[in-house]
Amino acid sequence: MQTKEAQTKEAQTGNPSRDRILERIRAGLRTVVPEPAALRSGPVIFEPINNPLERFQQECIGNLMECALTADSATSARQLSKVLQSLPEGETFVQDDPALRRLIEQAAPARPIRWSSQGAPGEASQATVTLAEALIAQTGSILVTSACGGRGASVIAPCHIVYATVAQLVPDLATALSRVSQERKLDSNSFACVISGSSRTADIEKILVQGAHGPRRLVVILQAAT
Amino acid sequence: MSQTAAQRFLQDAAVKSADLMHREIIRRGMESYDVAHLKGRARIKDWEAAREKCQEIKREAINHLDRYLLQFEEKVIARGGHVFWAANSEEACTYVKNLATRLGVRTVVKSKSMVTEEIQLSPVLEKAGIKVWETDLGEFIVQLREEPPYHIVTPAMHLNRGQIAKLFREKLDPGIESDDPADLMAAARRILRQAFFAAEMGISGANFLVADAGVIAISTNEGNGRLCTSVPRIHVVVSGIEKVIPRLEDLAVLWPVLATSGTGQGITTYGTLIGGPRRPGEVDGAEEFHVVLVDNGRSQLLADAEQREVLHCIRCGACLNICPVFRHVGGHTYGTTYPGPIGSVLTPHLNGIKEFKHLSYASSLCGACSSVCPVKIDLAHHLLQNRRNATEAGATKESERLIFRVWRYAMLRPRMYALGGWLVRKALRIIYGLGLAGSILDPMRVWNRYRSPVPLPSESFRARWRKGLDAN
Amino acid sequence: MDQLLPEVAVDTVKVLRRIGCAVEFPEDQTCCGQPALNTGYWGDARPCAEHFVRVFKNADFVVCPSGSCVSVIRLFYPELLAHSLLREDAAALASRTFEFSEFLVKVAAVTQVGATFPHSVTYHASCHGLRELKLRDEPLQLLRQVDGLKLIEMVRSEECCGFGGTFAVKFADISAAMGTSKAESVAATGAEFVTATDPSCLMHLQGILGKRDATTRTIYLASILAQDGLAQKSSAQERP
Repeated sequence: MQTKEAQTKEAQTGNPSRDRILERIRAGLRTVVPEPAALRSGPVIFEPINNPLERFQQECIGNLMECALTADSATSARQLSKVLQSLPEGETFVQDDPALRRLIEQAAPARPIRWSSQGAPGEASQATVTLAEALIAQTGSILVTSACGGRGASVIAPCHIVYATVAQLVPDLATALSRVSQERKLDSNSFACVISGSSRTADIEKILVQGAHGPRRLVVILQAAT
Repeated sequence: MSQTAAQRFLQDAAVKSADLMHREIIRRGMESYDVAHLKGRARIKDWEAAREKCQEIKREAINHLDRYLLQFEEKVIARGGHVFWAANSEEACTYVKNLATRLGVRTVVKSKSMVTEEIQLSPVLEKAGIKVWETDLGEFIVQLREEPPYHIVTPAMHLNRGQIAKLFREKLDPGIESDDPADLMAAARRILRQAFFAAEMGISGANFLVADAGVIAISTNEGNGRLCTSVPRIHVVVSGIEKVIPRLEDLAVLWPVLATSGTGQGITTYGTLIGGPRRPGEVDGAEEFHVVLVDNGRSQLLADAEQREVLHCIRCGACLNICPVFRHVGGHTYGTTYPGPIGSVLTPHLNGIKEFKHLSYASSLCGACSSVCPVKIDLAHHLLQNRRNATEAGATKESERLIFRVWRYAMLRPRMYALGGWLVRKALRIIYGLGLAGSILDPMRVWNRYRSPVPLPSESFRARWRKGLDAN
Repeated sequence: MDQLLPEVAVDTVKVLRRIGCAVEFPEDQTCCGQPALNTGYWGDARPCAEHFVRVFKNADFVVCPSGSCVSVIRLFYPELLAHSLLREDAAALASRTFEFSEFLVKVAAVTQVGATFPHSVTYHASCHGLRELKLRDEPLQLLRQVDGLKLIEMVRSEECCGFGGTFAVKFADISAAMGTSKAESVAATGAEFVTATDPSCLMHLQGILGKRDATTRTIYLASILAQDGLAQKSSAQERP
């Protein structure tokens, strides 16, 4: 592993424009632009969220996501079964995690399982099942990282199923992003994503079409207790 | 004989202004945006506070651009990524091309990136024998039509489903029968799927470069950006240097504001953060990660005390959507990478004021753009400043300079001004009296081409005042 | 306005006097400098602005029935005259300069000016008044108090009419297209009249409407407010 100086040096020698651009930036910034008057102190930009669970469920509807609230792991397993049965025949890709191992065992789906430890999902996968790092009430989002079965797990298959608990709910984006920073999630993961719905496009006549290149269905199995 | 950009603009504007079908398509598209946008704004408790916050974030980033770029670079390199600083289009394209050829890349999948349009990357790669697939549906469509994107957010909004279905039948698969948008999307998905899995390199843009976390942030809806940055073994990001923001937490307000202004959504479906190649133990992800930082005239804008804030732009497209000029001539008429108000303000800085000043004049200065910009760039004011800069650079017609010199002379002499006004009215009355309105002898003929002539008063206000206005 | 649209000024004076103002017209005034400013010839606009500042130096209030002129004086004179010896006079003048409807409602605190105008009217929100002077409500407050006036809202009332000064001539096709869209919005209301806070918008619209043989006529805000029901003849613009 190179030292910081060595890395920067390498960046500099292979890239003579780097110094020139930095010099131009510094020269440009020497022009002083008058700062405007101070902002009004801390106005509240977003409506505070009093009931995160309710808000999350509302947002899911708006985002064209499915959110199934379950009481315990047995109900969650049944819910998972139900979703998988509604899909065309094919393999299910599952993030290799003890919680999901248990869930799959309980659900006992009659279809082949490909675990993330066996490699990335491919076109053969009809569905992917992953955990999430957090759920965000404000925007009805799930936060995933590469630790949640990899980058492709949340985008390749036509159906993405997230197994989460109510305890994972955070009120807003600010909290979620702050947590990502504090826990240095982006140092231990090369990828993270805030997902707020099924994939979609409105590029043709501004008409909303669901299921563009990503999943057409995003299902959250939200368990009340761990 | 080659035309200037200004001549081409006037010609295209004339054609498009009269094209009622085009106007109707755009009107419908913008109407649906207007509705969605207002709904989106209603989800934000204090929209003005949100704008101010975003302005503050971008101002901090731009005013310390070197510091934040270096912070970003350090983190990316520490994770095994590469950062290349490109002074101009040529350097950026050469870097990507050399990388691709060195690594044996034959196919590239691309997610939407306006800066790659600016530097004209695809033609360079294609010339080197590399097949480039645009994967964003709108970009995919205009790529097939071999035309530039019409709008920075919705590249194909000028086309209707019938035109797109016909295009797909001709270029992709003659078996495509339906013109239903869902079926057309399904066809595009089917074809692009193969490209995603065959491509050795994925190229993306970046909506933001997050300095403290050392990651790029990409906002997409389709999932094509996700696939471009997950499947191929090489991931290249091309971004303007001004996309930097200081902290990850800044996205908490920038993401909703970008989505609201861009499409009226509360947040874009996928807010992706990538900081480097795949880490040991990760299931998938690119093995190599390169970020190409493009200057191409941006650092010059930093030195402009008045217009530095133009670099705050987050490329949301709101100014395009509200601009009545854009709504009547459309995105292609501008003939530049960036159309609309932001394009008119920015292009003279990137491509020269002499050639592109006409865009700053092609505006009624209504100010709608300034009123919607989510980072509070006073675009209308900058258009006016560009006009001033053009005259001061001697880039305007000598005849016009003369007219204003005469005008000034008259305006400083009230009696001459009054006499001049009387003469003009007299002359016009004679010309119209002879039935010559609209002819070559009519000084108001341009005005009268589209309008019935201005009725001429018998006397000026000052004449009536002098006679004594009734105080009733 | 002095030369081409004197009726606006006549009616403005009439209304101001009716509410009790003493009105002066300094005859040395020429132009606020907007054409030169907007075309980028600030070197030519500057002496014009200085002349304006000198002419109006001693006025208690300066009232102008044109939102665009007032926005030049309030918003641009400080920048234009930043290095002029008259910059302080300009700043002082700016704080005393008002658009006509703004003056009535915000300074004179009057919305009822004794006007009668039994016709249907739709309102176009002229850009400079709307966005630069933030006049959203004042003209409407005045119109609502006019006896017999039926106010009809138009769609996209805030979209630019397309005049834009020299833009109307330099980019005539675009200007006309924008004007046509606005004319369509006007026509959709079925109103007899369309009014605005900027006479140049109305001059442009009148031309466009005239070419389409539309039935809606343009009338200046001041002209509506000047109608006191005593004289029956309307001072609305006659079609040529």
